[in-house]
Amino acid sequence: MFQVAEDGAASGASADTAPLIALCGISRIHDGGAIAALKNVDLQIEAGDLVAIVGASGSGKSSLVNLLCGIDYPSAGTVLWEGRPVRSQQGWTRLRRNSIGIVFQEFNLVATLTVLENVELALLGRGMPAAQRRTRAAAVLERVGLRLRFNHLVTKLSGGERQRVAIARAIVNEPKLLLADEPTGNLDSSSAANVTDLIFELCGKTGMTLILVTHDDALAARCARTIRIRDGAIVQNAAHAAWPAEPAATP
Amino acid sequence: MNLIGLALRNLKRRPIRTSLSILGIGLAVGSALALISLSRSIKDSTRDGMDEMGDDLIVMQKGASDIFGGFIPEPTVGRIAAIPGIVRVSGELMMFAPSGPDKSIIALGWPDASYLWKKVPLREGRVPEAAERRVAVLGDTAAASLGKKPGDELELLGETFRVVGIANYTTIVNRGMVLVPLIDLQEASYRPRQITVIHVNVEHRSGRLELRHAREAIEALGNVTASTANEVLNNDRNFAILEAVSLAVSIIAVAMSALNVLNALVMATQERTREIGIFAAIGWSSTRIMMSIVIEGIMMCAIGCVLGVLLSLLSAVAFPYIPAIGNLISFKPSVGLIAPVLAAAFSLCILGSLFPAWRAVRMLPAEALRRL
Repeated sequence: MFQVAEDGAASGASADTAPLIALCGISRIHDGGAIAALKNVDLQIEAGDLVAIVGASGSGKSSLVNLLCGIDYPSAGTVLWEGRPVRSQQGWTRLRRNSIGIVFQEFNLVATLTVLENVELALLGRGMPAAQRRTRAAAVLERVGLRLRFNHLVTKLSGGERQRVAIARAIVNEPKLLLADEPTGNLDSSSAANVTDLIFELCGKTGMTLILVTHDDALAARCARTIRIRDGAIVQNAAHAAWPAEPAATP
Repeated sequence: MNLIGLALRNLKRRPIRTSLSILGIGLAVGSALALISLSRSIKDSTRDGMDEMGDDLIVMQKGASDIFGGFIPEPTVGRIAAIPGIVRVSGELMMFAPSGPDKSIIALGWPDASYLWKKVPLREGRVPEAAERRVAVLGDTAAASLGKKPGDELELLGETFRVVGIANYTTIVNRGMVLVPLIDLQEASYRPRQITVIHVNVEHRSGRLELRHAREAIEALGNVTASTANEVLNNDRNFAILEAVSLAVSIIAVAMSALNVLNALVMATQERTREIGIFAAIGWSSTRIMMSIVIEGIMMCAIGCVLGVLLSLLSAVAFPYIPAIGNLISFKPSVGLIAPVLAAAFSLCILGSLFPAWRAVRMLPAEALRRL
């Protein structure tokens, strides 16, 4: 078993061998037990994995993703980050600030802010100096192809561009894990293809772990492993053909 | 972009609501400053008026609730004058006296031989001569307000007086008074041989010991108290009530402004629940999220306070031009007055901001992100 410490903090020998993130006997119930979103789920995601989570609407995909990034809490079970349980809100906040990036289906950008400011928000949480924040946010936006859009309000962007801003915000802190919850769900097919290409390209180049929630089996097939969820339980956890299409490299 | 920049954006997002909230705070702070300042100004104006008379001690009936409320037998003046170390003494009958059907004026009655008559700063005319009856000297503001000049007749307590002079006192209270011979006021008010206060000057006015001895000697006469002008005002029940009412109304006004901030921020954070969920999802700590909301409250409060202070300063400039106010009191907001009101407003506004901030971070980020 994993060495137990609090909130994924501190380093230890176990961190080298433990999965990046693991769910142990996780359940999530709502309305006092009337709805069971997840039932006794066990799951391990290794560092560098490219994992697709698929399933029908209401199967528990989003509940699983919410628990994997700590924006929701399990009713039972433990989430381990690099072998250590994460129990407190502060522990999850620290992980989301430093090690986990999230891309949502609905973008979740701040409408009153510009493209650059939206990306800066993620760095503001780290207390980074303003000039450094700006430089770093600009560099990431260039990387996702939004160089000419820095000072536009996000409301002025197309869906595909907004999702690129969301991706830039998710990766600006160089996370170990990128969680993408149906990132193409609100995009047309052309934008969807561009966004998924971008996500796979970034993961390929940085070695970042990817957990991609999707309805699309073709998209899931681009991942090394597919986890299928039905009625709150994992019914399939299978590897695809060997990844990667591109060589892994550090940025 | 930083937390302050973010707060500014959020305030600009709902300009009408933000402006109304700020206006509410401004009016509350302005009202509180005006009310407290007015009550203090009334007291200060009265103190200035007493100081202008040059008293070292003011003798009143023991237990009198205010300067108009006690009565002393006139012979007490002579007994005080006989105390060693006391150089000047004058009795005075003071009252609000009706003048005509709808006006009243502070009337002072002084004995013919009072040293106070010699100290009247005349602008025109003269003071009453010895044994001259039914004559009056008006303060210049009172003369202007009643439309009287030397030679005119003045109705006071149903009796007719002839105006013989206009005094040019510097303090607002004294400028609004009428001075008449004591005996005339006693007769007109049916208070024969009664006075309300006795003005006293001691030989060494700067000596605390001399003053204390004089006070003890006067009070030993029985049924009177001798106090400085400050003490008289501090013990005056009317001023105490006025100050208490002003303070209570001010506290209510400032508390309402805090509720205004609370309401504005509760609504703003409710509308931005999803945004707060985003902040949490990208790793903002609860403290940082709360700070971003509290900063909004502080900014609204700061702008509202500036507006409130400006309103009170504007009132200080405008009030002297309104005869109903300017003829009676001078209105002077000071740093010593503004600082505690602003401190109270800020404290309450911060408290008002903390509640919606605390409420916002209590919600699970996943739940917040589900909100529309």
